[in-house]
Amino acid sequence: MAEIQWLNDMTTASSKGKAEKKPILLGFFNSE
Amino acid sequence: MGAVTYPDSTVIQFVNTTMIPIQLPSDSKPYADDFNVKWTPTIIILDEDGKEHARTVGFLPPEEFVPSLLLGILKAYFDLNRFSEALAHAEMLVVEYPKSKPAREAIYLRGVAGCKSTHDPKYLKAAYVKQEAEYPESEWAVSAQPYLLLL
Repeated sequence: MAEIQWLNDMTTASSKGKAEKKPILLGFFNSE
Repeated sequence: MGAVTYPDSTVIQFVNTTMIPIQLPSDSKPYADDFNVKWTPTIIILDEDGKEHARTVGFLPPEEFVPSLLLGILKAYFDLNRFSEALAHAEMLVVEYPKSKPAREAIYLRGVAGCKSTHDPKYLKAAYVKQEAEYPESEWAVSAQPYLLLL
């Protein structure tokens, strides 16, 4: 694995979290 | 984080196998407001249902980032009364990252989770003994002090 497999959509992340029974890592980065 | 911590191979392996990672800009609507994000980087640990259980604000190097994620996962399971999973993550944190800052809180929570899951106070006293022996300067050593009085 060369990099973290970031998602950018909360709906998808929530669905995957429930399906795979894994906690979600939500990172906010500077948008400016 | 993007230059140092996220490219770290240990971080990549841990995150991709243990969690569902999502990254959003700090002005993302409605999430930045929903999660009250005021500064970056802000890292939030959510359970499978999207409820927050832990957060950090500010840079963390790789050797502190993985332990902080383990602590967040531990807290999520602890809050959900899933004590066996909480204990497993506490053990992993304490054994694999004993020098990290989150290890101190993990020892405390391991004692509480052990007590709550077995109703045996020996886990609380064990938490105090370990804190006092290894991290006497820790705020969690102070929090555990009353457990010294347990039989």
